[in-house]
Amino acid sequence: MKKTQKEESKKMKILIVDDNEQITKMLTTFLELKGHQCTIANDGNEGLSQIKENIYDVILLDLAMPEFDGYSVIKNLEDSNTLKDHKIIVFTASTITQDELENLVKRGVTAYLLKPIDIDLLHSKLVEIADL
Amino acid sequence: MLSIKYTLFSVSGVSSFIIFYMGVVNFLTSADESTGMILLIFSIFVAIGTLLATVHISKIITEPIEKLAKSMSEFSKTNKRAKGYEIKTNVSEIFQLNEDFTSMEEKVEKTITVQNEYVEKLKDMDRKKIEFSSMVSHELKTPLVPILGYIQMLQKENFLGDLNDKQIDAVNEIYISTLKLQRLIGDILTTQKLDLGKLDFNKENTNVSDLLLSILKEFKPIALEKNIILEMDYDENIHILTDKDRINQVFSNLIKNAIDFVSAKTGIVTIGAKDQDDHVEFFVSDNGQGISADKQSEIFKKFYQIDTSTSRKRSGSGLGLAICKGIVEGLGGKIRVESEENVKTTFFFNIPKN
Ligand SMILES: Nc1ncnc2c1ncn2[C@@H]1O[C@H](COP(=O)(O)OP(=O)(O)O)[C@@H](O)[C@H]1O
Ligand SMILES: [Mg+2]
Repeated sequence: MKKTQKEESKKMKILIVDDNEQITKMLTTFLELKGHQCTIANDGNEGLSQIKENIYDVILLDLAMPEFDGYSVIKNLEDSNTLKDHKIIVFTASTITQDELENLVKRGVTAYLLKPIDIDLLHSKLVEIADL
Repeated sequence: MLSIKYTLFSVSGVSSFIIFYMGVVNFLTSADESTGMILLIFSIFVAIGTLLATVHISKIITEPIEKLAKSMSEFSKTNKRAKGYEIKTNVSEIFQLNEDFTSMEEKVEKTITVQNEYVEKLKDMDRKKIEFSSMVSHELKTPLVPILGYIQMLQKENFLGDLNDKQIDAVNEIYISTLKLQRLIGDILTTQKLDLGKLDFNKENTNVSDLLLSILKEFKPIALEKNIILEMDYDENIHILTDKDRINQVFSNLIKNAIDFVSAKTGIVTIGAKDQDDHVEFFVSDNGQGISADKQSEIFKKFYQIDTSTSRKRSGSGLGLAICKGIVEGLGGKIRVESEENVKTTFFFNIPKN
């Protein structure tokens, strides 16, 4: 099946959950220039409450965060049976194996990206999700 | 095997018997019946006394020795002095033996304790080293995320505003160095995973000629830029069940080295594969400066480089070949080098077909 490569995706509400401020700022700069609307959460706890209070088209979730990390966020959503209601893209600095990442996808995570994040790849994932 | 107990008993048994026998003979041949009787009774007493003395001697000698022997064999099994084997003796030789054994035991116990402490310390250091280096590589990788993100944005026409030509050049230079840094961090991470046995392999059916072609395509521009020939030589139709990304990683480390060590214009680098029954022999050869025989086993070691002078022309970390070796061995194969100084160098690596 061939998909036509779409350059622009529809405008989305995106939640970015990452403890590194430089990374969230870079992602926001990129995504806002692409026309999306971004909200930032600096740790897993904050991310989780944002997810529960608001509706986002996509959630970008860093797996490695101090204390309440990305895994805990995923686990929590799983426990309340709501993981599959969200479109989540996780990113990781490759301290975990390919198998573990595939496993996350099986559990209901939409996609994963390896750090350093290729922003063009991120963009194409967003286009894919918008098309779903 | 002789035992003290039985030796003592047989010696004393024989001598008591002789005394008793002499008493009887004396009694039968004696002219004076009462003297013979007295001598007979006396000889019976002496014989019984000898036997009793033997029992006593045997007790004070063999009992502590048996105890000591049991204690020793227990000690040799557990390296700890067992309880219930305390020895009381008046026999000076046994006393001395026991003293010496006790002090030896104490020393052995102490040595073992010290040794165990060292082993624990080393294990702990190793854990800390691993934790530290995985922390460091994670910390090194994190800042690369925004750096590369912004570079990508700057390289997009009109995304963050227009750049002039000089600014575009500057961004491109920053990009190249950042990629090198990223590769170096990646190499450190890979080495660390190899050390921990944590490198995972994803084997899939691979067509060898397709694999080689894609590698050639990747390195053609670099070869062209340095004005050297990059060519292929392979058997058709080889299929192999292996991790093609890792094979690619081995090739790219070997090709990068080969390109570095040949001269511009005259340099030729050949990559290829030979079909050999149950395995495939891959190779990368070059007509560059070569590696002397005494260095050929060294170069696979981590961080080893032949030329470490600061004036050397190429950059590198000395991790490339160590990673190649780790990957090849992880895939069940072997890597080796053949080289003639200033003539040629070939790296061969065998990978099982499945
Ligand atoms: N094709 C080659 N010709 C000559 N020397 C080589 C070649 N490949 C490797 N070497 C030697 O082996 C050393 C280790 O190589 P490598 O592990 O790839 O580290 P690096 O490339 O970072 O120096 C190199 O520094 C070089 O001295
Ligand atoms: Mg190298």
